[in-house]
Amino acid sequence: MSVTSPAEREELNRLLIQTGRNDQKAFAELYKRTSSKLFGVCLRMLRDRSEAEEVLQETYTTVWRRAAGFDAAKASAITWLITLSRNKAIDRLRQHREELMDDPSKLEQTVDDQPTPAVDAETSQEYGRLQKCLDALEPQQRDSVREAFFTGATYNELATRSKVPLGTMKSWIRRSLMQLRVCLEQ
Amino acid sequence: MNTPADEGNDNLRYAEYVLGVLDADARAAVAQEVQTTDEAAAAVALWQRRLMPLTEQIASVVPAPYVWARIRDDLQLDVPAATVRAQPGKGLWNNLALWHWLGLGASAVAVALLVVIALPHREAAPVTAETTPVKASAGYMVSTIQQDNGVTGWTATMDLDRSRMVVVPAAPAPLASGRAPELWLIPAGGKPISVAMIKRDAPTTITLDPSLLAKLGPTAALAVSVEPIGGSPTGQPTGAVIAKGSISGSTEVHDHVVRVATTLGATTSRKSV
Repeated sequence: MSVTSPAEREELNRLLIQTGRNDQKAFAELYKRTSSKLFGVCLRMLRDRSEAEEVLQETYTTVWRRAAGFDAAKASAITWLITLSRNKAIDRLRQHREELMDDPSKLEQTVDDQPTPAVDAETSQEYGRLQKCLDALEPQQRDSVREAFFTGATYNELATRSKVPLGTMKSWIRRSLMQLRVCLEQ
Repeated sequence: MNTPADEGNDNLRYAEYVLGVLDADARAAVAQEVQTTDEAAAAVALWQRRLMPLTEQIASVVPAPYVWARIRDDLQLDVPAATVRAQPGKGLWNNLALWHWLGLGASAVAVALLVVIALPHREAAPVTAETTPVKASAGYMVSTIQQDNGVTGWTATMDLDRSRMVVVPAAPAPLASGRAPELWLIPAGGKPISVAMIKRDAPTTITLDPSLLAKLGPTAALAVSVEPIGGSPTGQPTGAVIAKGSISGSTEVHDHVVRVATTLGATTSRKSV
């Protein structure tokens, strides 16, 4: 299932709007089409199946309750959905942060490997542009941005994992974000 | 065009929020701003648009069917569980579509046959339905546990040789939160005996103790009542009985199972891939 084609995006927008009108069938269809993407995102961040399932469940119950507030002019449905699931996953990670920080061996284990490319490799134009801009960053900084995005780690955690001072990590990420912004606006 | 010099601290905070590097307090502060000011909401939305395409790199993973069942339960929806495609590639046992089909469309006999095929056999014989004769002395009993509206809630298959019962949900109605279904055996003229708490979104496998096993038979019935999550506190049903079914079975069922297994074995194994 691809969520990147323009036609599919339109359909997802429509389904989310219908969901906002309490249309249960649309909601079920939306779940069917998007849950595996969102579950992939949750699993990637939480690295624990049952936690990812709980966050996925929370995400969709929130979708049902908040869908009426979705505005297709501001964001596409898939971006809205992925953002919601990432936010919930990050909140969950922050809850666990202290126990992780207490046990540095656990932190080591969470160091992310390189992201696996999507299997169907069918990616959007936006993805292509972002990738080009990421490629223009210094390798170490690019890796930190990716790791931050895919694992939801805090500055502190990223610094520990990369064994650099906190200030260095902050300036890497901030500089990267500014560069990305400029690059994407060209 | 904006240059990096225009990038204020605020805008960076929004970017950091979307990237996910802020600690809990800083995150909460930005989330609060997004709720209350349009500028913050717009800046965050812009960064989401910029960064979210990265998620295209993440491979999709189909969640287990019970996640959807839980969502339905939480929200008390009436759309059927089977609206959502079951997880592929995990074998027959986790194929909710198949269970659903069995529960709704097929006879309890078909469920029994599936138990024969799907459960690991004590004997190490290879489980190929076409060729493996089911142990000759095997006895099965089955029950279709119907709800008041006539819709099958669960199907129960009792495997007497292995002292095991498998209860498969078909289309159980939603329950209030904090409530769970409990299965009871009701001997003819006797009081209900608690069998087990059963699941609404996945098959429940129950080991039957000998005293329970002895009471199974065509004169007994199965019933499901609504109880607190941990089960009835009194040992007798305390909530409404929502579904009932008589028990039928033994030899004719068994012979039929073997016949159906022979013909259906190929079909079900194809379905499972």
